[in-house]
Order: sequence, then C-alpha cells, then structure tokens
Amino acid sequence: MSDLAIKTVNLTKRYSGLWSKQPVDAVKNLNLEVHRGEIFGFLGPNGAGKTTTIKVLLGIIYPTEGEAYVLGKPAGDPKNHYKISYLPENPYFYDFMTGREILTFYAKLFGIPEPDRSKRVNELLDRVGLSRAADQPLRTYSKGMQQRIGLAQCLLNDPDLLILDEPTAGLDPIAHIDIRDMILDLRDQGKTLFISSHQLSDVERVCDRVAILNRGVMVQLGRIEELLAGGHVEVIADKVPDNVVEPIRQLGGKVSLHDGRLIVEQPDNGSVDRVIDIVRAAGGHIISVKPYRRSLEDLFVETIQGGRNV
Amino acid sequence: MNATFAIAGATFGEAVRKRILMVILLVALLIILISPAFEPFAAGRGARTLIISFGFGVIQLAGTFIAIIMCTGMIPTEIERRTIYTILSKPVQRYQFVLGKFFGAVGTLGFMYLMMGIVFLIASRMALGEFDPKIVRGLIMFFFQSSLLAAVVLFFSTFVSPLVNYFLSGGVFLLGNLLSSFLETIQRNPEVTPITRIPVQILTVILPNFANFNVQNPIINPEQVLTDELAYLVQTVAYAIVYIALLLVASMLIFNQREM
Repeated sequence: MSDLAIKTVNLTKRYSGLWSKQPVDAVKNLNLEVHRGEIFGFLGPNGAGKTTTIKVLLGIIYPTEGEAYVLGKPAGDPKNHYKISYLPENPYFYDFMTGREILTFYAKLFGIPEPDRSKRVNELLDRVGLSRAADQPLRTYSKGMQQRIGLAQCLLNDPDLLILDEPTAGLDPIAHIDIRDMILDLRDQGKTLFISSHQLSDVERVCDRVAILNRGVMVQLGRIEELLAGGHVEVIADKVPDNVVEPIRQLGGKVSLHDGRLIVEQPDNGSVDRVIDIVRAAGGHIISVKPYRRSLEDLFVETIQGGRNV
Repeated sequence: MNATFAIAGATFGEAVRKRILMVILLVALLIILISPAFEPFAAGRGARTLIISFGFGVIQLAGTFIAIIMCTGMIPTEIERRTIYTILSKPVQRYQFVLGKFFGAVGTLGFMYLMMGIVFLIASRMALGEFDPKIVRGLIMFFFQSSLLAAVVLFFSTFVSPLVNYFLSGGVFLLGNLLSSFLETIQRNPEVTPITRIPVQILTVILPNFANFNVQNPIINPEQVLTDELAYLVQTVAYAIVYIALLLVASMLIFNQREM
C-alpha cells in the first residue's frame, strides 16, 4: 500500500477557449505529495488552481499533462471512490429531500445495503448533531446545517481520504467551530484530509503541512512550523544603562534605548536568555518578554505579493 | 444499477416538484376534462373524432413541453449547482449518471401520462359512453414519442447550454414531425431535383421520425387505416427504443469526455 494519499507529477491543466489563441494554464507542473494520515492545507487566492487540482484528483476533469494518483491509483479510478469523499465549496443538495433522505441517497450511491444503510445514516445524523432535524426538508436547513449534512455525506463510506473545499466558508462562529472540531476528530481517527480553504487561522490550527498555489504554480510547500519559523522575541526593560546597548546589539537583535527604557527585538534563536542576563547584570528591570510568531496569514500575503517560487 | 436507480429516483422526485411542470400538467388535465364541452365545434367530424383528437392534441403538447422543459437543464443545472461533484466523486460511473437522469425523466413522463390518461379516459367515457381502446394505444404512442424527445434533449444537454438546447430540440421535434410527409410530397413531384431530394432523404433517415407516433390522432391522420394496429404499435415502439438506445450511447460517450 502506498504511503502517499495523493501524488501529482508535473500536473498541468490547460484551458484553451474556442476562439482565444492564448491557452491558460490553470495548474502548471504541480508536484505534490500528501502522506496518509496528515492534514494538508491547500491554499491560494481565488483562481489559483486549487479547485481545478481537486477536480483532477476526483477524475471530474482530466490533466492536460502530467499524472495524478490518489491512494496509489490513477486519479478518477472508480474503485478509489469507495475510499475517498469530497465536499465541494457551497454545495447544493436536493433540497426537497430531508436530511435522512439525502444521506440515504448518497449511501445508495456507495452501494451500502440495508439494514447497514439505515444504521449508518442514523449514526451520522447523530454524529453531526442533526438527529432532531433529520426529517426536515433540506430547504429549511441553515447554512451550518447544510454544511454538516455535507460533512455527513462525506463520512458515509468511512473514507481514507477526505477532500474538503472551503469547509468553513460562510459559517457563523458557532457552526464554524463545530465543523472545525469535526475536522479535528477526523484527524484523531487517522484520516487523511486535504483541505482547500481561505480560512487561514483554521488551516494554521489544524493542518500539518500546507502548499500555496498562485496562478497555477506552487509557490510554497512545507510543514507549518517550518514555514512560520523566523519570528522574534520582544524584550522590554526599564532602568537600563547606556552601556548594555552594544553587547546586546552584538547578539543580532534590534535595540532601542530611550530614557532608560530598552526595547529589543531579538531573533528567536536561543539568545533571548543572554539578553536578559545582560540587562539584569547591568541593574535593569525586565518588564516583559513577548514572543512574536509569524502567522500563516503573514506568510500567505508575503508569498502571494512577493511572488516567490519554490 | 443501485446508483442508476437512486439517481433516477432523485431526478423523478425533483421533477415532480417543479412548479412549471405541475402547472403544465394541471392545465392539460383541466382542458382534457372539459374537452367534451367543445362537441358543438365538431363541424361534421363527429363528437368522437373531436374529443379524441382534442384530448390527444393536448396530451401531446403537454408531453412535448414537459419533456423539453424537464430535460434541457437536467445536466447543466447539476453542474452549475455542483451537485454532480458530490455524485461523481462517489463510486458512480458517468454512464450511470446519464442513465439515471434519463430513467428519472421517463419515470416523470410516465407519471404525467398516467395522470393525463386517466382523466382522458374518464372524460371520454363520460362523453362517448364507452372506453375506446384506441385511446390507450394512442397514449402509449405519445408516451414513447415524448420519451424519444426526452432522449434527444438529454443528448443535447451533454454539450450545449439550456437555451441553445430549447431551440435545437424544438427544431428536431418539428423537423421529425414534418420531414417524412415533406419527403413523400417531393418524391411524388417529378420536378424536384435530386439536389433537393437527397438532403431531405438523408435528414429523414438521421433525425428521429416523430410523425410515426401520431397515427392515432384522427384529425392529423384522417385517412390513416392501419391493417394491423398491434404490429404497427410494436414496430413504432421498437423504433423508439432503438433510437433512444443510440441517443443514450452517444450521450454517454460525449458526457464521458466532458469536463465540468
């Protein structure tokens, strides 16, 4: 069994209009590896090629060049679809059906026979907190309830891989937290999750690794903690004499001293203790030590605006 | 097949809740019900001819509108609403989706024809004092005509937008009703050159012949005498089934390559 849940090799998807001479690469030479059991964040601005990549992985569209594999098999292999699930962005479900009926419909698509089907449907309705609304038509559901039913239909087949496109978009804070908690539960169960999202704080909180796409090209890839490394620690002290500035500056930080008030922005490389020792030895008084970590949002904005390539 | 029937069931459930289709059905039922009241306008044709023709005319028109309106958006709407992504990401083959949609459409047409047929039979029984078996045979013919039209519309919906589909399907239905008579006329006319005749002959062969299904209507075909009605019915139904099968295969092949 392949250790990779998703693998793409030089994946390119090109669109050329009937009348336009200039073809557009929605995805260009994408090389991606997602390991089993990890939560992978797939980020990028609108039009970056995220949904196109997902559609290729699901076999809904075909690559122009390159290859894509899902759970060790070529993307789109129908046998694979017993082990994967997909929640599209802003999904529409047949709204004349009730929550129970729509899950039964999708369970039939998976070929789950009775009585397992009813049992599974009831379990999932309970799990996503919709048991009481199970027999209401979907048109009466709120956006959060629709998203929960969407997540429930993803879990009918107890999938190895879940592909979620904007799972928390447009939800109120409570529904947002509910869905995020469900994603964390799935992580605890060892599922592989491939999440495309603009909710960067969620991605930062739940994902192990992320890739950032811009104009079809992957511009960042790595573990969250590695990508967000490079923060600093701010040390503020009072009653500090002038003669400490030079030794602290030699440790590599930014130092400012006015009327005995010292502010040091020290790289987070283990030298903070040394700064504190110097200040104290000189008779200064430490007021605060505050770590500043880069957020995924900072990285995203820097990456997209800077246009750096991997 | 489970998946195909599940999709067919969902298609049927959605179609019978479409207001526009229900309005067409209700209007048709109402007109059929009051059709005996038009007897004074029979103008020498006889009450039976008028009532049967009138009823069949309304049923055919309603069946045509229902087939076109129901099927034009069948695939484009699923793509636009992204429902299709949740379906095709399950272990569902694209051909099963197309088949499910078609069976759902035929199921809906069957339900509509059943409703209209029951009312037509009751209305004609009240007006004529007996059940005319021709009505049942005619209903079967028009049901298959609408099913064939639904297959045409579904075929176009795999690659054109709903608006274009309205015109294409409407055009095919019109030509399919007129071409065979037109061909007969020009074949009887010695002045028509092969340059005119051959394209008409080719089109008549390629396009579905919807006129075959109209024989039960005594106004459209007043001089039509069928020596063996059952054989004609079986032959016409078989023609519809073969043509539908060909259209479905073509739809599946196109849809299999379609990017969404």
